[in-house]
Amino acid sequence: MSLPSPSRMRGVPFALVLTAGGGLVLATLPWLLSDFLLALALSCLMFAALAVSWSMFCGPTNYLSLATSAFFGLGAYVTAWGLESMPYGLTVLVGGLVGAAFAALIGLAVLHLRGAYFAVITFGLTELTLHSVTYLEKTYANTAGRIISEAPENTVIYWTVLAVTLLAIATAILVRASRLGFALSGIGGDEERAQTLGVNTRRVKVIAFSLSAFFPGALGAAMAVRWTYIEPLSVFNPFIGFQTVLIAMVGGAQTLLGPIVSSVFFSLLTEFLRLRFPYAFLIVLGLLLVVLVLYLPGGLASLFVRRGRQHA
Amino acid sequence: MNRSTPIRGIAVALTAAAVLAPAMPASAQDIRIGYAIARSGPWAVGAQVTQEPNYVMWAEQVNAAGGLNVGGKKRKVELVAYDDRSNMETVVRTYEKLMTSDKVDLILPPWGTGANFAIMPLAAKHGYPMLSCTAAGRKLIGMKNPYFFALLQQPDVIMDALAEYMVARKVKTAAVIHVDELFGLEMYTGLEASMKRKGIQIVEKKSYPLGIKDLSPVLKGMQAKKPDAFIGLTYPPGTFLSTGQSKAIGFSPKIFYLAVATAFPVYRDKMTPATVEGVMGIGSWNPKTGAEAKAYFDAHVKRWKKEPDRWASAHCWAGLQILQAAVEKVGLDRKKIRDYIAGTEHATIIGKMRFKGSENVSTPGVVSQWQNGEFEVVWPPQRATSAALFPKPDWK
Repeated sequence: MSLPSPSRMRGVPFALVLTAGGGLVLATLPWLLSDFLLALALSCLMFAALAVSWSMFCGPTNYLSLATSAFFGLGAYVTAWGLESMPYGLTVLVGGLVGAAFAALIGLAVLHLRGAYFAVITFGLTELTLHSVTYLEKTYANTAGRIISEAPENTVIYWTVLAVTLLAIATAILVRASRLGFALSGIGGDEERAQTLGVNTRRVKVIAFSLSAFFPGALGAAMAVRWTYIEPLSVFNPFIGFQTVLIAMVGGAQTLLGPIVSSVFFSLLTEFLRLRFPYAFLIVLGLLLVVLVLYLPGGLASLFVRRGRQHA
Repeated sequence: MNRSTPIRGIAVALTAAAVLAPAMPASAQDIRIGYAIARSGPWAVGAQVTQEPNYVMWAEQVNAAGGLNVGGKKRKVELVAYDDRSNMETVVRTYEKLMTSDKVDLILPPWGTGANFAIMPLAAKHGYPMLSCTAAGRKLIGMKNPYFFALLQQPDVIMDALAEYMVARKVKTAAVIHVDELFGLEMYTGLEASMKRKGIQIVEKKSYPLGIKDLSPVLKGMQAKKPDAFIGLTYPPGTFLSTGQSKAIGFSPKIFYLAVATAFPVYRDKMTPATVEGVMGIGSWNPKTGAEAKAYFDAHVKRWKKEPDRWASAHCWAGLQILQAAVEKVGLDRKKIRDYIAGTEHATIIGKMRFKGSENVSTPGVVSQWQNGEFEVVWPPQRATSAALFPKPDWK
């Protein structure tokens, strides 16, 4: 990130302080909530971080990436492979770095594609990663899945995921205020114009895509310890990617607050419907999505934006 | 602004309702038994054939008889059931809810090896015995979890039975495919060891990913080598695919064996009884196994208008029988239930069952074969319900 100009820095310290404050409040939840509600909070945090980091790159540039599951799965495998030789916190960091490195690699190869082509190829890459990991495991370890025998306490997992989420939000705030964020918006508006104005679009895109992939990688590594048994099909689950896109879009991928609100809203809503209306749950969820897309095309965030303008 | 208020109101209300309302028991006297299982997503097919119909039918039968006898008092069973959406994190979260918020008396396990692995630490931490009927693998047994009991036969045991049958029929060569999953790999490892011991040659071995869409090149290659036996260590999609494609190319060796889903009635119905005539696979039982098995079969057909599968369904029912006997013997103290399960030889519809560690060491590996629309047990001889068709007749 280059040095941001003073005008765009306005509001950034406030947003960062707000994030830190919110984080402090959320950090007390393990003492207040039952195991189940803490697990629900964990889910909200996970999707908040996924949606915020997805929007970090895809929001301003209008790219539609379905590679989130690939980064998440690789992170999970870092834990599966590394937890015996590394402390938990380090596997989370390495998981993030592996996600970022992988994103940089594939970014160099496919970021010149746009629209449906990019979506399809990122989805295909997830499948490719899944099968590559399966093949490697089978060939070199003669196994199809890994056991995590010593998992950290639930509270430790919660605080770790909270830390990753706060880091994702703080990064998103800084990116938005930085020249990188400005360049990304430029690319989203008109890539050729941005190029003409001297933006190295290829470099900017690879850096931002890679940065945004750190978080799903770290989350995969952090969450994997909850499942005891890690196999490619469960950690490279394409639905994690779909759900992230859905949450970000319903919330409003252009905004910062939208994806956060929407991930909490969706996590609680799906859980409520699943537990209370087991047979109607998918129908209700589908209908709700249709309504939201039809009447709130700008996402949940547009509710708040409109309200903010009226007050101003 | 006008639009925002109701939507936000709903969001707040839903959140409050989801967070605050606990699952209320129907009656304080009921025994509450909780589980999460797939009703949506890719696991739902297997879960809804083998597992949940049995849970529901068992609870209905128990309640029709007045309930479970706990310390001389009949108490009804209330199932607290949730959809796990075929998602690992949801499985874990839901069992956390069942064990720590709903505080159910007992749990029933979820579907599949991965999901059972995922809740094993919770079962041990909160002391809930799990009698798992759709989880198989030495890795599970190797966890040495005192609250985990695996009702199915282990992969190596199943493969030993097949090897013994092959020796009895003087089979010399086999071609093998296996799915790249824990079960497929463990099955293959077991098979390789058995074949070596029995002097049967594996002329070709290929593995394939779960989502494969075409096996015909592999099958044609194997057909060219003319093996005595074809052994597919398959999951349901591969089972259907290799049957259809082997028939299409006329690959019909003396033994044609496929693993998971061969025992499903839907396999017979979809491929047609004439086609599957002579196809072998993993089984355990059928209505001819005994009077109790017949009663279970009839009850299942009456309740669900469909037949139970001839492998894991009966193991699932056996697990419910064991749980029922345990509760009626020692009450609802879960530690005592665990000790009772671990230390007793149980009477079930698939015969006597005893556990050593987590493993069911009583039920032998069984080879079954479709004959005239029934999945007949053909090996071992003491469990057989019919003589084997050997060699397998040509595809019809």
